Amino acid sequence: MTLLGQAPVPRDIGVFEWLLDPNSWTGPDGILVSLANTVILCAVVVVVAIVTMVPLASWLAHTRRGEVSVSWTVTLSRAIPTFAVAGLLVPISLRSGWGFEPWPIFIALLLLALPPIFLNTYTAIQQVDPGVVDASRAMGYSETSVLVRVELALATSVMLAGVRVAAVTVVATEPIRAFLGGDGLGRYVRDGLGQNNDALVIAGAMLIAGLAGLTALSFRLIERFALPDGVRRLATTTTR
Amino acid sequence: MTSLNLNIEEGSIVVLIGPSGCGKTTTLRMINRLIEPTSGRIEINGKDVTQRPVAELRREIGYVIQQVGLFPHQTIAGNIATVPKMLGWGKQRVSDRIDELADLVGLEPSLLDRYPDELSGGQQQRVGVARALAADPPVLLMDEPFGAVDPIVRTRLQDELLELQARVGKTIVLVTHDIDEALKVADRIALLNVGGILEQYSPADELLAEPANQFVEEFVGEDRSVKRLQLRTVADIPFHRGPVVAATDGVAAARSIMREYSSEWVGVTSENVFLGWVHVEDLQDGVPLESAPRSVPAAQVQPGSTLRNAMQIIMTSHTSAAVIDNEGLFGGVVTLELIRASLEAETGS
Amino acid sequence: MIPLFGQAPNPIVRWEYFIDEWDQIQRALIEHLELTVYAVTLGLVVSAGLSAIALRFRRTAAPINGVTAFLYTIPSVALFGILVPYFGLSRLSAVLPLAAYTLLILVTNIVAGFNSVSPEVREAADGMGMTPARRILHVELPLAMPYIVAGLRIAVVSTVGLVTVAAIIGQGGLGRLILDGLRRAFWTPMTIGAALSILLALALDGLILGAGKWLTPWAQRGRSAL
Repeated sequence: MTLLGQAPVPRDIGVFEWLLDPNSWTGPDGILVSLANTVILCAVVVVVAIVTMVPLASWLAHTRRGEVSVSWTVTLSRAIPTFAVAGLLVPISLRSGWGFEPWPIFIALLLLALPPIFLNTYTAIQQVDPGVVDASRAMGYSETSVLVRVELALATSVMLAGVRVAAVTVVATEPIRAFLGGDGLGRYVRDGLGQNNDALVIAGAMLIAGLAGLTALSFRLIERFALPDGVRRLATTTTR
Repeated sequence: MTSLNLNIEEGSIVVLIGPSGCGKTTTLRMINRLIEPTSGRIEINGKDVTQRPVAELRREIGYVIQQVGLFPHQTIAGNIATVPKMLGWGKQRVSDRIDELADLVGLEPSLLDRYPDELSGGQQQRVGVARALAADPPVLLMDEPFGAVDPIVRTRLQDELLELQARVGKTIVLVTHDIDEALKVADRIALLNVGGILEQYSPADELLAEPANQFVEEFVGEDRSVKRLQLRTVADIPFHRGPVVAATDGVAAARSIMREYSSEWVGVTSENVFLGWVHVEDLQDGVPLESAPRSVPAAQVQPGSTLRNAMQIIMTSHTSAAVIDNEGLFGGVVTLELIRASLEAETGS
Repeated sequence: MIPLFGQAPNPIVRWEYFIDEWDQIQRALIEHLELTVYAVTLGLVVSAGLSAIALRFRRTAAPINGVTAFLYTIPSVALFGILVPYFGLSRLSAVLPLAAYTLLILVTNIVAGFNSVSPEVREAADGMGMTPARRILHVELPLAMPYIVAGLRIAVVSTVGLVTVAAIIGQGGLGRLILDGLRRAFWTPMTIGAALSILLALALDGLILGAGKWLTPWAQRGRSAL
């Protein structure tokens, strides 16, 4: 291990040549396949997180319980080193006959996605003006209707922000999967480091960063255009 | 602001007052250079304030603001000790001074180790004053110091300020928007108009009795004569014995003195203790005075009561005259006439 | 079932490993700690500077926030990877990204901390004759401490987690144990590496929390919002 590395001459030509070569993209080892792997895993993680956390958080916030759970979530979510958790889960997964993939990385990424979605949903619903809730109850909405039609509707923009944070975090962390025996966009950095191929490393890094940025951008666009104006104006993000 | 010329006497309380935009706070903050004057001179004891390093200047001027601004991270003692510590005082000296100040401003010693948020608004203000006086500065600046507390506490703090001043005799410049507060505490009042124009600079009574112009008149309010009554006490006017007799003098003497004063009521004393007022129709020949039905409670005031208070009592009682109690003994009678006459007398004190 | 202890051929934790390889484990732990400390210290120094600029020149606050946020969104694998061609598989390649990731939370919290000081406290301090330096050091800094400590906790804990990722460029401390175990199909180091990094994170979190409480006695009476 040198303290300061080798000659700092990036082989950019190599990077762009590789990226623009259609062969790099197609085929079983191609970028498209790895990209698909990454996107699918991340999508599933986020969907599972939404499906589990949104109902739970909504119910807790609506019934005014679980204040403690909020601070717990915050503390726990900060102390979990994802790589370590995934690493911990590999032997367990293997021992249980589930193999290297996808459970360890899936669970580790899930743990990353749960807190922002839970917290944002909880706070968003909690902060819905009680006056509005009361009025809707008084008008005759059932409890479920109040929850779904009123509280959730008003809370959507904040919740969507939480989903965005979760999605971006998951996409940004997913590359470690390649170092735990899996596939995904992280493989190019892994292979490049192994082969001492700087161009591959840089290209891989750019792909990863690119996807993360794209994810963030997509969600921001969704937030901006897919929500009715009135709801969007209520947006204040609780987590970053 | 237009230019302002003001001479403040050492050891006096000067109140700056006026409508919004008159620059009273700006003026105050120019004294300790929180705002730098663009022209002109401000001198303390003949020395130009701009000629000194600003931090050094401010350590010799006490500064109290409305929200106090106590440091939340230090105890009360720590807060008070701020300037002395900056000036390098020794531990013992600081500690003694803190005890001295706590007594001076009326702060219980048990509060010294507490933190600011554990104190009430009134207590916090007192700490603010103590902190400002810690290094014994000759000058004290106060910017609406009592504005943030409720009226009852405010009155107490105002009284305590006057008591404090009697003990330490600082030169105090105080900014307020409350004319009654100004009238109560000030030795002289500087009434400023929008733009920093000085409309009048005089003692409270003079401001009320002889307003310099229409602006002043309107500012002090239509009831300025009544306000003047608050500035004087019963002891200030020459009250006289009035239609009062001793019980032993008898009914005839009572009738005679009532005729003399054209009064329907006569006051009765016994061994110089005032018993009450008796109406002429309740007088019966042959019945001792002390048995006659008296108006209860007797309208009475003390020498320290304000004239306004006396007037209030006179107005609400049937007797239309007040009797003065001098440590329980009868001293004389105050009437509306006397009160009115006092207003026409020379102004000022 | 999952054998947790010793004798079976490939258990989760083989305790002899723990004892035999204690040296290696210790070294990994120390390296992990060192990287964390270097990264957070560097991050703190840079954040202090950035915060000072953001507080002094209000207009720079938004751009500075934008830059630190941007850095934070760069995936760790990517950032470590990009530095390797330039700085090699060295400590620098690890410490620079790690420090960069702390900037967002530290700058945000330092700025928030100083902004939380009431204007009247500042005015009182100035009015009493404190020089700006004295006021910042003796009044504003102590009052900003709760925020700064909170930010440090988050920075340290997340850095500990990210150091494990740095193992991919050979600088991972306990992360190396994980990767090592993976390569050798030997689970014990994986488990130990992972478990220790979680424990280290929690321990440092508790340490800073305690230090924070000790530094801010006035905020300890049930009023802390952090």
